Amino acid sequence: MRLSELLGAEVVDEHGHTVGKVHDLRLVEEGPLLGGVGPGLRVEGLLVGRRALGARFGFDRGAVRGPWLLEAVFGSLGHEGRYLPWGRIRSIQARQIRITGTAGDLPSPEPLGEVPLHRKPAEGSWWIRK
Amino acid sequence: MARRLDAALELLDRQLIGNGGTLAGKVDDLELTDPGGNLEPPRVTAILTGPAVLAGRLHTPVGRWLARVAARLLAPGQDQLSRVPFDQVEAVGASIRLRVAAGQLDAGAGEARVGRLVGRIPGAGDAA
Repeated sequence: MRLSELLGAEVVDEHGHTVGKVHDLRLVEEGPLLGGVGPGLRVEGLLVGRRALGARFGFDRGAVRGPWLLEAVFGSLGHEGRYLPWGRIRSIQARQIRITGTAGDLPSPEPLGEVPLHRKPAEGSWWIRK
Repeated sequence: MARRLDAALELLDRQLIGNGGTLAGKVDDLELTDPGGNLEPPRVTAILTGPAVLAGRLHTPVGRWLARVAARLLAPGQDQLSRVPFDQVEAVGASIRLRVAAGQLDAGAGEARVGRLVGRIPGAGDAA
């Protein structure tokens, strides 16, 4: 499976209602990597929503800092994104993901912590293998 | 506490840098592997890079057309993607540093071929 097969896929709840589309995958560091060194990354859940543009820049995640104008624009639209824990996925077929429960059961995505959009390269490396 | 990151926001389209400091393409996609094959939470097992991978992300007729164009630019039988096992990633940040050299990536040959084609365009030598 590829990341691109999940991004943009339609999420449908158990009543057949569309929850939204997959905007991102939340990964959690979990090591060791298969036969490698250092921690690997495991998919923890999906970020789902109806508005794609703000999500593409991360503004649906609350803690993303960016130009004030963009923050104001996307902030005024509200954060309608939902967090879908991986365990609630029943099936993945033809770019459609069916889940247990309803859209109303899904929580809002938790912020990752502050994620500045204009991070300097020198301070941007947050994870270095030893 | 385990660190979390969002794949599209913090990995996709980031610059790959080989261990000699050479640019090695971009993160065009990620390979996810379901360890049990039964909808268990997948793990990120590789970074995929290359023109065909990028075109395939579009999921549209335009994307399929771009994939065919990419295939024609490459020599027959040549790999159109590089798969970088995730344990070859040294650091993730504004760019992604690899343990391998850019020249060891399969898609690097394709990029070199495109580079030669672009190099024949009059004025290409003026590029910095």
